[in-house]
Amino acid sequence: MVAAREIYWNVGHEVIVPIYLFGLFAMAVSAWGFYRRIRVYRLGRPLDRFDRISLRITLMLKNMLTQCKVLREPGPGALHALFFWGFGLLFIGSLLIMVQADFLDPLFHLRFLTGGFYKLFSLLLDIAGGVAIVVLSGLLARRFIIKPVGLQTDREDYLIHTLLFSILITGFLVEGTRMASTEIGINPGLASFSPIGLGMGRLFLALSSIRLALVHRILWWLHFFLAMGFIALIPFTKLRHIFTIPANYLFTDLGPKGAIAAIDLEDESITQFGAARVADLSWKDIFDTDACTSCMRCQDQCPAWNTDKPLSPMKVIQQIGESAFGESGTGLVGLVGVDAIWSCTTCRACQDICPADIEHVNKILEMRRNLVLMEGAFPDNAVRTAFENLEVNANPFGLAHAGRGDWAEGLKISIMAIDADVEVLYFAGCYASFDRRNREVARSFVRICNAAGVKVSILGKEEKCCGEPPRKLGNEYLYQMTASQNIELIKGYGVQRIVTTCPHCYNTLGRDYRDLGLDVPVEHYTTFIAGLLSGGRLTLEPARFDFTYHDSCYLGRYMDIIAAPRQVMEQAGGRLTEMKKSGYGSFCCGAGGGRILAEEKLGSRINAARVEMAKETGAPLLVSNCPFCLTMFEDGIKTGGYEEELKVKDLAEIVAERIRMKSEG
Amino acid sequence: MKILVCVKQVPDMDSRFRPNAAGVWFDEADLDWRINEYDEYAVEQALQLKEQLWEAPEVTILSIGPDRVLEVIRKALAMGCDRGVHILDPEISMKDPWQVAGIIATYAGEEGFDLVFTGMQSQDRGSAQVGVLAAEMLGIPCVTTLVGFSFDDGVITARRELEGGTRGVVRLSPPVFFTCQSGLNFPRYPTLPNILKSKKKEIRTIQVEDLPASAPLSVTTGFYPPAKKGSGIVLEGELNGLADRLMEILRGKCAAVRL
Repeated sequence: MVAAREIYWNVGHEVIVPIYLFGLFAMAVSAWGFYRRIRVYRLGRPLDRFDRISLRITLMLKNMLTQCKVLREPGPGALHALFFWGFGLLFIGSLLIMVQADFLDPLFHLRFLTGGFYKLFSLLLDIAGGVAIVVLSGLLARRFIIKPVGLQTDREDYLIHTLLFSILITGFLVEGTRMASTEIGINPGLASFSPIGLGMGRLFLALSSIRLALVHRILWWLHFFLAMGFIALIPFTKLRHIFTIPANYLFTDLGPKGAIAAIDLEDESITQFGAARVADLSWKDIFDTDACTSCMRCQDQCPAWNTDKPLSPMKVIQQIGESAFGESGTGLVGLVGVDAIWSCTTCRACQDICPADIEHVNKILEMRRNLVLMEGAFPDNAVRTAFENLEVNANPFGLAHAGRGDWAEGLKISIMAIDADVEVLYFAGCYASFDRRNREVARSFVRICNAAGVKVSILGKEEKCCGEPPRKLGNEYLYQMTASQNIELIKGYGVQRIVTTCPHCYNTLGRDYRDLGLDVPVEHYTTFIAGLLSGGRLTLEPARFDFTYHDSCYLGRYMDIIAAPRQVMEQAGGRLTEMKKSGYGSFCCGAGGGRILAEEKLGSRINAARVEMAKETGAPLLVSNCPFCLTMFEDGIKTGGYEEELKVKDLAEIVAERIRMKSEG
Repeated sequence: MKILVCVKQVPDMDSRFRPNAAGVWFDEADLDWRINEYDEYAVEQALQLKEQLWEAPEVTILSIGPDRVLEVIRKALAMGCDRGVHILDPEISMKDPWQVAGIIATYAGEEGFDLVFTGMQSQDRGSAQVGVLAAEMLGIPCVTTLVGFSFDDGVITARRELEGGTRGVVRLSPPVFFTCQSGLNFPRYPTLPNILKSKKKEIRTIQVEDLPASAPLSVTTGFYPPAKKGSGIVLEGELNGLADRLMEILRGKCAAVRL
């Protein structure tokens, strides 16, 4: 028997006219809905996210079809991915039917939905629909029965779940009633390729053929109108993410992670610095709010949210959306709240996990820029004092700049002013230069360079703060002032290579300074040491130690340096027990976003939470790679009273303790 | 209304101070410079009054010294002052309060200011005399240790900080010379639009030689750190042993402790 089906069986080919009319109408409603939203996106400032269009399209297709970002959260992510593939296959199936029935067959007498292909088609779609119903049930159970803490559910969610279920179920009912008339008992070989339809169809065998035809026609139109309703509803509900998320993948930021535009201080036409209202943000910032489905993953990862601070990255996006699409004339600061704005540590966990590619961090930075640059407002007096210290002494501590190179006294290292003919400029940074605990890291690093025969100098008292903390707190002016002075100095010495022991200096000198004219390669000491080891310039005498490792935000998520430090520790004799939140999922120490300069007065302490996680591994040693993390963990260990159970050391200290001197052969 | 604010650039108090070669002041190499803290309150008060009077008053900022003092003039302009006056004098640190006051009074006398604000004292020399001397030279009343200020229809109500936390209330009308004490206000942080605007504001330079000079009434003859008398002792060891040793020292060295 022929393996095919008569399309438009029972409803008749004449339905083409009404279905295309209704279809076009539904799409017009949808297009109009999106058109209204596009007008709101355009309230924002211009931004070029249309360059390198073929790369963008590739990324969009990859992210959309593989659902790789959605699958970062394995449980619910798998449910959504399966639903997407299932529904997607059903959609493609419907398109193929439309192509054959409405164009190829009537115009060219071409039918491809026959034979083996049709059997495969039928089976795949039945499986797709079945899987879609199963996973949709799983998603429904998660939202309405399990109710994960913090997940917002409103009327729209009831509507969408009902709509999707009814589309899928009526689809199978239509198939079942059709098969009850045309296949079951008549073409069993074909019927077995639509197992679910077969099962459904058996329920209708008792009906007379006239009744059956009527039921089929009713269900067919019901299914059709539900689908049209779905299309029309898209821009007016969360369903818009079907278009806005792939579009967000298309408009993704192709620049280096963590980059933010440098304000052109020479441009006299700028009257507003930072974002006070929605119109001060870019169109992409407003578009981001439409890509958000309130999935809550960003909030779940946020260290501020998890320590009871009023910052939820998800709420910030929602609030910006409310301000853009609503009638409220409230400025962004009033809507989001200063406490939320200042609580961010810029750890980037939100952006990293977001399946919609939303860019949370820079929106908060733009709001901070408005607060500092336009209103002279700060999170607290400690930050104001730190800013003034940075202006006067070039470090946030308010210590004499003349003493910045004192830590190197007695060590085999010179200053650039005396000897600039070196392989490497070691940019020590404020903490390594002045903070008692962090000076040990600087000294360890020098010992490592000495042992490897790397000739290195520091800027000493000429060095100024890299400018990262003030920049992240919104003080773009102070950042550019201190940065341009550093850049002039570094260029003046003809530096060829820079290494830092601080991930914040590393990010700033290596990425941000490019916008201000510095082009010298910058490395973080972890990869630098890895290079020395693999190149044979440095050898270690491994001494066994048990440890857990903290991936700092600015090294891990920002710079993707995750494996190299672990390899170095392994070569040093380390046996690693990972914390539950490690690698890209690492939990911030609390000091980023300039917050190392601020007081933590809201909620509980982020550093205490992270120290708890380290303690849970049972390892006696916590290893870090950042002066801020080291400072926060020393403090967290002390306030928790864990000095006997847990110690913290920097990676440089561990390596320096294990140097095998060349003379020992 | 014309308001004058006098500010001094002083070294940051965390700097390392060493006597200069002549042994009469500190060596200026490697110091971090900043606006004198008390003068910041003066700048802020002038700007608050300007805002209260619908931006009508003109605030002039004055500083005396070498080129590096332009930084504090610019900072005050960035906070919101209208124009700057730089009296170029590389030798200012060698002048005594009488001479400094004379320079200010000569300049201010020609301009006819309604109000003058300055800090109560400088953080480096701390003589607290310049303001009072300049007011006397100008022949106008001086109100010192200002911790409260209000202006209402031409009458100023000033609150002065006195001993024991008491406040002295003075009521008077311009022209007045004020020296400001901490607690008067919280100096504003310059906003970026104001910083950028300030780059266009006028700074007039006057060579100090062009002003009539006066002889100093006092001369610095020496400048040195106090002689080391003896160092501290750090007691280390077992807690009980430490307590015993401490008792011994207290008994032996302190007449005030009765044990």
